[in-house]
Amino acid sequence: MEMSRRTAAPVKRRHLLQDNPSVLWFMGLLGLFTLGVTVLSEGFGIGLISTNLVKILGMTLCLCLIAIAMDVVWGYCGILSLGHFAFFGLGGYAIGMWLMYARTEIVIRESLAGSTIPPTEREVSEAVASQIFSVVGSNELPLIWSFAGSLPFQLAMVVLVPGLLALVFGWLAFRSRVTGVYLSILTQAMTLALSLYLFQNDTGLRGNNGLSGLQNIPGALHVPQSVISVWFFWASAFALGAGYLLFAWVVSGKFGSVIRAIRDNEARVRFLGYNVEGYKLFVFTLTAVISGIAGALYYPQAGIINPAEIAPIASIYLAVWVAIGGRGRLYGAVIGAALVSLLSSWLTGGGAPNIDLGFYRIIWTDWWLVMLGLGFVLVTLFFPKGIGGLFDYLVRKQ
Amino acid sequence: MTTLLEVSGVSVTFDGFRAINNLSIAIGEPELRAVIGPNGAGKTTFMDIVTGKTRPDEGRVIWGAQSVDLLKLSESDIAKIGIGRKFQKPTVFEEQSVRDNLAMALKNRRGPLSVLMWHATERDAARILELAAEIGLSDRLAHRAGDLSHGQKQWLEIGMLLAQDPRLLLVDEPAAGMTPAERAHTTDLLKRAARTRAVMVIEHDMEFIRRLECRVTVLHEGSVLAEGSLDHVTKNQQVIDVYLGR
Repeated sequence: MEMSRRTAAPVKRRHLLQDNPSVLWFMGLLGLFTLGVTVLSEGFGIGLISTNLVKILGMTLCLCLIAIAMDVVWGYCGILSLGHFAFFGLGGYAIGMWLMYARTEIVIRESLAGSTIPPTEREVSEAVASQIFSVVGSNELPLIWSFAGSLPFQLAMVVLVPGLLALVFGWLAFRSRVTGVYLSILTQAMTLALSLYLFQNDTGLRGNNGLSGLQNIPGALHVPQSVISVWFFWASAFALGAGYLLFAWVVSGKFGSVIRAIRDNEARVRFLGYNVEGYKLFVFTLTAVISGIAGALYYPQAGIINPAEIAPIASIYLAVWVAIGGRGRLYGAVIGAALVSLLSSWLTGGGAPNIDLGFYRIIWTDWWLVMLGLGFVLVTLFFPKGIGGLFDYLVRKQ
Repeated sequence: MTTLLEVSGVSVTFDGFRAINNLSIAIGEPELRAVIGPNGAGKTTFMDIVTGKTRPDEGRVIWGAQSVDLLKLSESDIAKIGIGRKFQKPTVFEEQSVRDNLAMALKNRRGPLSVLMWHATERDAARILELAAEIGLSDRLAHRAGDLSHGQKQWLEIGMLLAQDPRLLLVDEPAAGMTPAERAHTTDLLKRAARTRAVMVIEHDMEFIRRLECRVTVLHEGSVLAEGSLDHVTKNQQVIDVYLGR
């Protein structure tokens, strides 16, 4: 029976894009946006958009990528994870280790090049270690930096570290059937523990100093930031596009049907013969890996990563973005993440002029969080479908 | 007819309340069986035990010719081995279409990766159409399951049960909230299903059970009070006392 089923012809296999016109729209808009930013950039175009802004836009694309991952795990599968920024941060640390090590190594080799006796590998390694770790009072290379000079190794870590952490954590949590708010608290605790751990100086990741100078790309140290920023912008846009396609595929077919069913009534799904824990673990781990990749693209644009980035509040913001943008639809998550994070950097970065009302001066830096909180409450109460829900009205009108 | 499911000496206690008390019951394949009993007799708890939702304090639950111990399996493994369950309150996935509900229940591989790669074959599509016709929802396939009437949801759930192609169907109050015409249809469905499989129906409604024309097990205070034809058990003095005496 199994054989005959395999040979049975699929029924008019419709293309993913046919069933999801929003994917096509999204790809088109992302392509246009990328082209537009490139043409207006300093590195490749007429220079209307500053290098700094290109970096902010590229970072925003990375935030959109982790937001769609969050939407899949929460909006589609019903797991309110308050820990996905930990995976994002781990991805950033993994690539940051290579960036910092390789660049420091190049600098050291250049400075030692003039010496009469060529330096041994050991001397170079020791010099790199004391350069990187003197800030935490050490001059030894921690064990976890053993392969930091290898780009392929650290790239593998970008995927493996968040993936394995999610796999182990998820296996323990889902197997014990921890659900709902208890699971959220557990993920939050994981994030907090990781963040506090990284704050310590002896963890080998430079404590609260974090990793810095990540905008300098080894092998391209002579390339101006105006060009590098556009490279990373492209990479971020590509990653977002690929991630969007991947998740659209994951949530569109029968798999999407099953995870939405798990969200709505997981006990019933069990009685249909589906191993609910396996599905949750799959979704949790897949989204954690994508979050790690998003982080690995984000931090070279940010230039610095420190444990504060992993603080629990970041993961809560992530949930707020997705809620405001609209859960259960990928473009909703993108809208929420882009809108809120750009507004945030505009209002708190001094971009928005403060308003003097005479009797009171509105300072946006102070009021932004209040506005965000209020917006979250209003959306939750009155627009449970979020901003993305507006598209339903547009489609229905046609 | 061979024995398919054998429950023997099962007891379960919730906070000091003995919901199931040394219960022994068996069903063959194929067979249609009705289980009746007053409220609190342990009918639903019995189904919970067989489907793996509740673990009994003692007793054995044995499945099939290979004598598989069901108490060692998870809910999803029990479902995969061939036990399907319809709940008292219709539980379909309201946000999804009737077609998606049926497709999810179809007997196919259940692992995350095979489901990710799954594409409806002609056989699957034909099976869905066939099931939809059987449960009278052919013109509702594209509709949201949440938009169906109560009776239609009951049928959809029965359809999902049939889609799983189980060897044993546990059906909890299938006729609740149905019109007389819908009830007659449901009786036919269950009788037809019982030609090739074991079907166990929990019901309150005597008229409905009479139409099933099958062996009846009466549960009371967590154990079997009487078993036999409907006429036989309704003449039993203990059964009369339990049902009418209080």
